[in-house]
Amino acid sequence: MLVRDVMHSPVVTISTGATLEEANTLMWEQGIRHLPVVEAGRVVGIITDRDVRLATSELSPMPYTPQSRVEEVMTSPVLTADPMDPVEEAARVMRDRKIGCMPVVDGRELVGIITGIDLLDALVALTGAQLPSGRIEVRLPDRPGKLAKLAAFFAERGVNIHSLLTYPDEGGFVRNVLRVDSLETRKLAEGLREAGFEVLWPPEKPWSR
Amino acid sequence: MVQVVYRPEYLTYDFGPDHPFSPLRLAMLSELLQELDPGFKPRAPEQATRDDVLRVHAERYVRRVEDASHGQPPPDLAEYGLGAGDTPAFAGMDAAARWLVGGSLAAARMVSEGEARRVLQLGGGLHHAQFDRASGFCVYNDLAVAIHHLLEAGMRVLYVDVDVHHGDGVQWLFYKDPRVLTLSLHESGRYLFPGTGGVYEIGQGGGTGYSWNLPLEPYTGDACYQEVFARVFDRALAWFRPDVILLQAGADAHFLDPLADLVFTTHAYERVFRSVLEGAERYTEGRIVVTLGGGYSFDAAVRVWALLYFLIQGRTPPQRLPEAWRLRWETRLQRPLAAELHDVQLPPEVPRRPEIARYNESNALRLLEVVRKYLNPS
Repeated sequence: MLVRDVMHSPVVTISTGATLEEANTLMWEQGIRHLPVVEAGRVVGIITDRDVRLATSELSPMPYTPQSRVEEVMTSPVLTADPMDPVEEAARVMRDRKIGCMPVVDGRELVGIITGIDLLDALVALTGAQLPSGRIEVRLPDRPGKLAKLAAFFAERGVNIHSLLTYPDEGGFVRNVLRVDSLETRKLAEGLREAGFEVLWPPEKPWSR
Repeated sequence: MVQVVYRPEYLTYDFGPDHPFSPLRLAMLSELLQELDPGFKPRAPEQATRDDVLRVHAERYVRRVEDASHGQPPPDLAEYGLGAGDTPAFAGMDAAARWLVGGSLAAARMVSEGEARRVLQLGGGLHHAQFDRASGFCVYNDLAVAIHHLLEAGMRVLYVDVDVHHGDGVQWLFYKDPRVLTLSLHESGRYLFPGTGGVYEIGQGGGTGYSWNLPLEPYTGDACYQEVFARVFDRALAWFRPDVILLQAGADAHFLDPLADLVFTTHAYERVFRSVLEGAERYTEGRIVVTLGGGYSFDAAVRVWALLYFLIQGRTPPQRLPEAWRLRWETRLQRPLAAELHDVQLPPEVPRRPEIARYNESNALRLLEVVRKYLNPS
């Protein structure tokens, strides 16, 4: 999944010479929290609703006025992402630098913006039920070929795997959460157990065998 | 006046001998009711027309169902949920699905035209079918067609879905419509098909607040279910004030069900059915339409629905099942069947019961808190 798949575009921007009041009004009207600041078509900084509120607060050691210019308050230079970056890389940068968004630039052109909310959307898309599906959780030894065997089990039965999430477990194992195109996850789990897989969900019900 | 709707053509909705949504369940049920009740005389509904189906489904989807039914499956069938998986296409599928839709539509008509107050449709309840997609054994959404009719008759509809799976098809078809309140109680989508039905799925646009979902923890049993059901169902009635109730009475939350993980007994079903019928008496002048739904333990599902048949008529259910019927079907199915209508064998005690109850009750509170402001109860 790439940045271009989850970013928002077109982007609402503001110029360096605009006032904080104008920036505030624009964000309020558009229901957004981040404004890339542009000059001659290039991104030169970023300003957020929090920047504006803190800059103009009475609690600020050096308060700005609503008439101060955006370029006095904006953060510059700005960290940007490329549309072809994988989302996990954008997420890592945003987490490491503790920032809420990155403008997406292609060469010098601003083509989109990715925010924390877009990353949550990506997480939902990667893990959630986009299509009606059943959930199966299998613990596999963290060794070559194990996942292939699991996938082959579903392929042999003509069951489509809608999504697959894997994460490491203790003792050299990997947990695999699959969303499969079937209501009959219990029957599939039974087959998996017979084939020697360790199925964590659905569990066996002793009384309905 | 109570009416029962059924016809043998329902048995043509058949995905094949190894499929869990087996027509044998209806065959067993109708034979059982004939033997238990000499007065069992269900009304035979007409088949729904193509236009009836088009009230809730996309034409491009209906066309593909028809083509597949006539042995000309289009290459993109799988994109419409009709591939080789849960809901495989079969010859005559379109006509079979329209028989079931016809039954639910006829039931809704009897109620809207005042011919009956309570109607039991002995079939249907295909709540997973979506606008342009078959899903989870469901081809056409008979419930949505019935709701559509009731809305056209000017009624506000409270849809109650006690099937163990989330009633996603019906929910999405009326997600923006404040004239229909959909209430679905189901095993949490975290663990069970179709994966949706979270407590914060509450509707969109003008329909925000009119989709209610109570996801239940696996191994939820009778006592906790009755408690949370009463809490949300009573609020749904009082805050929404429906003109009619439509109940999807899936029986797959029973502990013997092979597809899911809740542990209800027939006793919970009896209390829930009674409280829904009482709710109708209090709020809708008794108007209620009931359909069947999922239920894949032949033994349990047929008993739950036979219970429903007696309760909806205000009659005392019999204790024992006819011996001849039982032996006949035990031979045919090659598996034992219970001798009594109510469960005698009960599920084992669940060790995590207090934890499960706490979780379900918290979710009931979350649900009521988040939808309350949209319904503006006085």
